[in-house]
Amino acid sequence: MTKSSMKELEKVRGYIYSCRKCGVCRYKMTGRVPYVCPVKKASPGFENFSSRGKMLLAQALLEGQIQPSAGLARAAYSCTLCGNCMTQCGATDPDTRKPLVDNTAVVEAMRADLLRECPDLIDEAYRRVLAHTRQYGNPWGMPRSARGKWSKGLTIKDAQKEHADVLLFVGCTMGLNPELARRAHRAAAVLQAAGVDFAMLGAAEPCCGSVQKRIGDTELASEMISGNIKLLNNTGCETIVTLCAGCCNMLKTQYTGLTAKVYHLVEYLARLIKDKKIILAKSRGLTVAYHDPCHLGRHLGVFDPPRAILKALPGITLVERAATRENTICCGAGGGMRLFEGGAFAQDMGREAVQAAHEAGAEAIVSACPFCETNLEAAAQGLEAPLPVYDIIDLVYDGAGLTG
Amino acid sequence: MTESLSGDFKKALEEIVGCNYVTDDPVTRFTYTQDASLFGGTQSALVVRPGSTEEVSRIAALANRHRVPLVMRGGGATIYGQCKGDPDRTVLLDMTRMDRIIEVNTAGMTVTAEAGIIIDKLVYACKKEGCYVYAPFAPVHMVSLGGWMSGAAGSASLWPDIVSITVVLADGTIVKTGGGPGTNVHQPIFYNRNLGGPDFAGLFIGDGGSFGIKTEATVRITKYPPLIRAGIFAFDEIEPALELVRLHVERRTLQRFDPMMVFAAGAMKNFMGDDDEVAPFTVQAMIQGHDVAELEAKLAFLNRLAEQCGGGHNFLLDAMAESMATPSEDSEMDWMAIFNSFGLPAWLPFTLPRQGFAGVYKKLLAWRDERLKEADRLGLHLRTTWDMFIPTDASTLIGEIDCFFTDVDNPEAIVFIRSLMADFQKYAHSLGSIDVYNQGFMADLNASCWSPGFKRLFELVKASLDPNGILNPGQWVGSYLNEQGE
Repeated sequence: MTKSSMKELEKVRGYIYSCRKCGVCRYKMTGRVPYVCPVKKASPGFENFSSRGKMLLAQALLEGQIQPSAGLARAAYSCTLCGNCMTQCGATDPDTRKPLVDNTAVVEAMRADLLRECPDLIDEAYRRVLAHTRQYGNPWGMPRSARGKWSKGLTIKDAQKEHADVLLFVGCTMGLNPELARRAHRAAAVLQAAGVDFAMLGAAEPCCGSVQKRIGDTELASEMISGNIKLLNNTGCETIVTLCAGCCNMLKTQYTGLTAKVYHLVEYLARLIKDKKIILAKSRGLTVAYHDPCHLGRHLGVFDPPRAILKALPGITLVERAATRENTICCGAGGGMRLFEGGAFAQDMGREAVQAAHEAGAEAIVSACPFCETNLEAAAQGLEAPLPVYDIIDLVYDGAGLTG
Repeated sequence: MTESLSGDFKKALEEIVGCNYVTDDPVTRFTYTQDASLFGGTQSALVVRPGSTEEVSRIAALANRHRVPLVMRGGGATIYGQCKGDPDRTVLLDMTRMDRIIEVNTAGMTVTAEAGIIIDKLVYACKKEGCYVYAPFAPVHMVSLGGWMSGAAGSASLWPDIVSITVVLADGTIVKTGGGPGTNVHQPIFYNRNLGGPDFAGLFIGDGGSFGIKTEATVRITKYPPLIRAGIFAFDEIEPALELVRLHVERRTLQRFDPMMVFAAGAMKNFMGDDDEVAPFTVQAMIQGHDVAELEAKLAFLNRLAEQCGGGHNFLLDAMAESMATPSEDSEMDWMAIFNSFGLPAWLPFTLPRQGFAGVYKKLLAWRDERLKEADRLGLHLRTTWDMFIPTDASTLIGEIDCFFTDVDNPEAIVFIRSLMADFQKYAHSLGSIDVYNQGFMADLNASCWSPGFKRLFELVKASLDPNGILNPGQWVGSYLNEQGE
């Protein structure tokens, strides 16, 4: 790989060189920040596992001081892209007030250049996800026909045939995983109960491209984005509601030219509850900790709506972990970490997150992202006192008195 | 791993610390070639993350037997470069895995922790008990206790508070200096640095890691005062600002009580709007006490002193002063973010006697202004400057007149800044500044000022404690800048 072939790293060279390599991202610790990098915590903790080391490697790669290797790929892929390093660094351009150092963009760029130039160095697990996307249109290798099965028993408009105000964008993970599909079903049932005029794309719903972008296939992600924008604009929907934090982040920040306004379900539900379109009357005594998905919280700043929903639910007591909101420690599933070396790191990170909720006095964890929930559920199984993991829609569905 | 170190050596290290904590991966080793400074290091053959004093002891004994150099690294927060060691044969010890709090002793007013702990964590553990570690003027979010004791940023402020250090000598011997619980001179209740013998803690403080590997330390802590307030006093000239400092520090009964900082021209404008008037010199005073009346009286008294010196209370800046005096987690983060936002830093710190300070300070400023003109001629872009100093005791001030450039990816800027930092320290030395940073080229520069007798003493101690010269080799030898191509 030559210096000139690092197209993506070149685009983010400002971030790379603006990083002072001071080490705040590696070591900072306060009452609200028990640690910064979950990967550093779950790993043996060498510099290459934390952000400063990765920034140094990106700079060296750009300057031709090092060459691509399996070790470099390991460093690039051992990151949840949670962005806590960026938050704790806090460096902003004094003139524009924009972040001066976007560590996640640098890691994504390093992955993209490595994947494009030296694909053999990249773990087979990631390449399989990309192959699945090309073959099936989703990262999980599920047949296209499986999409939309979650809506069985519900009558929902087809967005390609009928106009609706709202498009419910379920996402691959929620829609295709049989374990999670009931949550998509519940979300639709709640929207129907609230009288929302919405439609779905069913089998035609595309993958948003988030997973592909995060693991480095920027070209594939770009192709997907441009095709998806046309498809979504053609539905004529003014609003898109996503169930997945990753889809929401992708649609909100990467879909330039999308005409609809994008909301995550928690933002939309909070408004429906405030407007009394959803009445939460059924009480359920439960103390919960809310886990802010990185895509939704730190990256999009959506912290208050899910908490407003939880506070509106009768019998639900919300407790906060020491690290919460913008300081939340990633569940471990971000950035493709469940694919990294068999997922052991992701499990360890998940256990830390569950343990922190337990220590805060929670009886359950609630989140709003299928990736977080899947990883937290798996991690919780390994603990002595496993906490149940809910999606916020589970509690709203229950609180609204819906059954089935 | 390079050919210079055998696979058996690596295997022996793995037996000590476990396979996960030893690596010869070139990528990992590369990430340890640089720290927070702009002065690169050399690549070590192996990186090890030991987990206990016992492990460090076994590593040292092994390395000593095989004459393998050991370079210690804490938070990697140095600004003058880390010890280079012997390229390709060095084993770098990343000490930050050893970050446990061993005890916060609120009866004895000490905290004991492993030396790889980052000061942040130490401060937080003490804060939970209503106490604090005196840590002004230091990058607490990334500097380690071990690095601080050896000579990292702001370390002089901590040094008097260190009462005991656990050190692993080059041959693996574990010693615990001072007297106190579990030390060589057992005293079950309290720690004292020189109880029952000479002050051997002092021997290892500021040694740049040359005499031993620090693995644990006991540090004095102080109770948080019940109330804190702050005031900013503005002056047109530096002399009256320093006169206020003199009047204040000379009347203090306790050194740690009511600290002050002086912000000089350049610093305050970073916080002000374009239309706001910025006083050239501002003295920030933190007032601590037990009730509101006491605080009010103290502030009023300070204001009288300020007026007597020709200045006055600047109420506009009090909010900022309050936020600095009683830092919340948010404001601490803000300070770090501010510094990280300024661009490519040229850190220009100095330590000077208070007596005659104003004259020397003006010379340093004039020197910097000349160099900034040179930067301008080279086409470099200055973002801002940051000038401040703080009295560390009744007779000394430490400070910095930093400048920050926007040319973050310009190699010429890096070359310029390296020479600026080195030349500044040479110039500051010529004016009487000797800094406490015992790292990289600053260690070399400090050593160049040693008297023949002191140099001989150093050599004798080094030869006695580390006869094979395996600990931080190259430290204090005056070759750092040449290797940087300056």
